[in-house]
Amino acid sequence: MSGRVNMRPTNKNALLKVVILGDGGVGKSCLMNRFVSNHFDEHSFHTIGVEFLNKDIEIDNESYTLQIWDTAGQERFKTLRTPFYRGSDICMLTYAIDDKSSFRNMNMWKNEFLYYADIKENSSFPFIVVGNKSDVSIEEREVSQLELETWCNENGIASCIETSAKNASNVQEAFKMAVQHWLRAESRADRTECTYSDTVDLSKKQSDVRNSCCAGATDD
Amino acid sequence: MEDNQEEVLEIFTQDGVLITTAPATYIHYLNNVGTLLIVEYPNSNLTRCIEWKPLDLTIDSDVQDQEWTVVSTVERRRTYSGSLPVDVNRSKHLKINMNDIKSFRVSHKNQKLTFRDGKGDNVCSFIFQHGNCDGLIAVLKGILKTIVSRRDKHVYCILDDIKNPERQQLDKSFAELNLFQEQSSAYVWKFVKNFPNRPYEATMEAFSKITDIVYRGPEHRLMDSEVHNILHRSLEAIENNTTTHSHDEYELIAHVPRLPALKEYPRGRPLSFEQWKALQDSEGQVEDVEAVKLVIFRGGISSNVRKEVWKYLLDYYRWKCSHAEQQNLIKQRNEEYFIMKLQWRSMTKIQEDNFTDYRERKSLIEKDVNRTDRTLDYFAGDNNPNLQVLYDILMTYAMYNFDLGYVQGMSDLLSPILYLMNNEVEAFWCFVGFMNKVSSNFDMDQAGMKEQLQHLHTLTAFYDPEFANYLYKHDSANMFFCFRWLLVWFKRELSQQDVMRLWEVLWTDLPCQNFHLLICVAILDTEKNILMENNYGFTEILKHINDLSGNIDISTVISKAEGMYNQIVDAEHLTDAVRLIIGLPILGNTSIVDSKEASPDISDLTTNGDTDEVSYENALTHSFL
Ligand SMILES: Nc1nc2c(ncn2[C@@H]2O[C@H](COP(=O)(O)OP(=O)(O)O)[C@@H](O)[C@H]2O)c(=O)[nH]1
Ligand SMILES: [Mg+2]
Repeated sequence: MSGRVNMRPTNKNALLKVVILGDGGVGKSCLMNRFVSNHFDEHSFHTIGVEFLNKDIEIDNESYTLQIWDTAGQERFKTLRTPFYRGSDICMLTYAIDDKSSFRNMNMWKNEFLYYADIKENSSFPFIVVGNKSDVSIEEREVSQLELETWCNENGIASCIETSAKNASNVQEAFKMAVQHWLRAESRADRTECTYSDTVDLSKKQSDVRNSCCAGATDD
Repeated sequence: MEDNQEEVLEIFTQDGVLITTAPATYIHYLNNVGTLLIVEYPNSNLTRCIEWKPLDLTIDSDVQDQEWTVVSTVERRRTYSGSLPVDVNRSKHLKINMNDIKSFRVSHKNQKLTFRDGKGDNVCSFIFQHGNCDGLIAVLKGILKTIVSRRDKHVYCILDDIKNPERQQLDKSFAELNLFQEQSSAYVWKFVKNFPNRPYEATMEAFSKITDIVYRGPEHRLMDSEVHNILHRSLEAIENNTTTHSHDEYELIAHVPRLPALKEYPRGRPLSFEQWKALQDSEGQVEDVEAVKLVIFRGGISSNVRKEVWKYLLDYYRWKCSHAEQQNLIKQRNEEYFIMKLQWRSMTKIQEDNFTDYRERKSLIEKDVNRTDRTLDYFAGDNNPNLQVLYDILMTYAMYNFDLGYVQGMSDLLSPILYLMNNEVEAFWCFVGFMNKVSSNFDMDQAGMKEQLQHLHTLTAFYDPEFANYLYKHDSANMFFCFRWLLVWFKRELSQQDVMRLWEVLWTDLPCQNFHLLICVAILDTEKNILMENNYGFTEILKHINDLSGNIDISTVISKAEGMYNQIVDAEHLTDAVRLIIGLPILGNTSIVDSKEASPDISDLTTNGDTDEVSYENALTHSFL
């Protein structure tokens, strides 16, 4: 809800749909807001229903518009959340490094996503695992970096990163990494097909000039 | 004819009919409300009777049950109307042979109907408390030959003499002459079959009237795929904007259903301290609860009495209790609260380690309390003691209602209550009262939420078919974008002051149940031009609606919603689907057709899937792809 971001992509970027999943309280909404508007509000509301924000990102001189979907994590809202998984290009599995059970639940989130997004080949789907709240003290840490890497290896996921929405560490990188992962998966899947052709384009061909009212310049 | 086993064909039924004149044998029924029926006994020489029976409580409560406990109201209602219990008490009905009736008179804005015999004496009269007798008149005109009296245009004379010259003349003017020579059931059947040829403008209203008849058909013909197809095709015709005009064949019911004009309902002044005291007697009892509620509905509650009045609205205090009884109750509630609180406070570490479910609840509450209204002074800052109270109440509520436990959204509902009460026990019991009103929002399977979204669509479609159609064509008929509004009653959209005002208005249950859905309809009506002009699709609508947060003028919305409510209840074509939602007695012309009538599009949500959940998800899924 924070951050005035233009709803429509302002140019004809490829639109990538990113779904952020994970237990309640791991910092999904904070990550999204940090990424989109470079803003952190420690006391923002917990998410009700479904929200999304758009944000442009540039990678190798190519622009992409990320449409980031954020949902409420409680089991109760599963039936209202899962329909939004379909058509995702990227899935960001999130836990908090000071919350072991949120780490354990990643299996559940991954399976829920695969099932409802109706992904046939999960080996190539671009998942990225994000361990948030990297700013917490060593005493509070419950999940080590090694555990993270082990889990990713076991699950065939190539990208993982520790972030802090609070002090803006690695947040841009996490999303960038996700897109790069997606690009690799795409080109693997079909080298001949144009990567943009099968993405949804919400824009109304306004202009090719990049309109900078989409907040938050990329910090690369 | 008195034989219970005999076949009975109900041509027409209407609930909520008060009987004010009756033959001497039925005098005990006078001034009672019940159901009026027109029935036919096919085995007794096609005798037709006017029957009336007192309110059947079992059916009534059934309707209420089904309204709030199932997602699939459409399915259920269909069952309900398709398999009316065989009425073994039929012999007790007031029954008047139609042959004894020679005329009937319509009066009181079509709300009163009086049947007269050959001498012109009144045999029986009925007042239609809900809606009017137009539907019945249409049916009577269908099964009888009638002519408007020359002396009194409100009187219809029944022509039974075939050779009556007046009748022969009349016949020529009826295009449906052939229809009337057949049995009424066949007539009805033909009526349905001819349906697709009818001018499209008439369709909407015609549906409700046709269903009156179709539903009482002898072989439950609605289940017949043929009928289904016919109705379906007709609906498509609406979509395609067919504008073929047929002649006045069906003039009886052929006119465009239109809502009365939107009137202004200015907001009133809030309930003042003086008013409130004046409405209590010396013992503290509130005599005229409805009067209190009416003032609150019109203008809310002044801040200096709000705290006290909320306790009544939220069932913590009883309206009809003396001070002494009240004190007693408060003492009990106080003890009860601390017993429940102690239950979780005394949980040992080992107990907790062995109780995953409890641990998860606890941790979720902890997390959410830290993310609830922290921008308000009352909850701001680290280690704010009010956060602890918020936490304690939610934990205790999880003990009070273990099945429900804690669901996200509850902390939003508690926050304004705690802020106002500033007292743990009082806030807890008021919160319990609020939860009792909205607990279905937090159903495990979200059935309550899905049903509300569906109801919201039905209302929108009735109020503004064009907009509903827009939503349908833009994959948004699931109304999902209103989820947050409904889950926490606009808590996230409004300021603390505004949300308190809105809630107290909604707690009065005036002017109807589910008024919060009309609040949604009113806001959507304000936004629809933006949505349609920009040709927004599902994601964009969702975004636009989410971004309305903080930009809603709630007084304007409430008065607009009240105006819309009045437009809807005054609409001639008010359907049972809508009646059910706003809590008016239904007329019996129920179910699937109704729902479609109001909204050709809702079928996506309700009638195609194996289970509702699946079809809902499908709908939602299709929505944004
Ligand atoms: N220390 C720390 N706290 C964070 C970080 N990100 C989020 N939080 C806190 O974690 C809580 C939950 O964040 P939120 O984004 O609402 O979680 P969500 O339920 O996953 O959307 C909030 O109170 C934030 O203040 C972070 O990077 N570091
Ligand atoms: Mg969130």
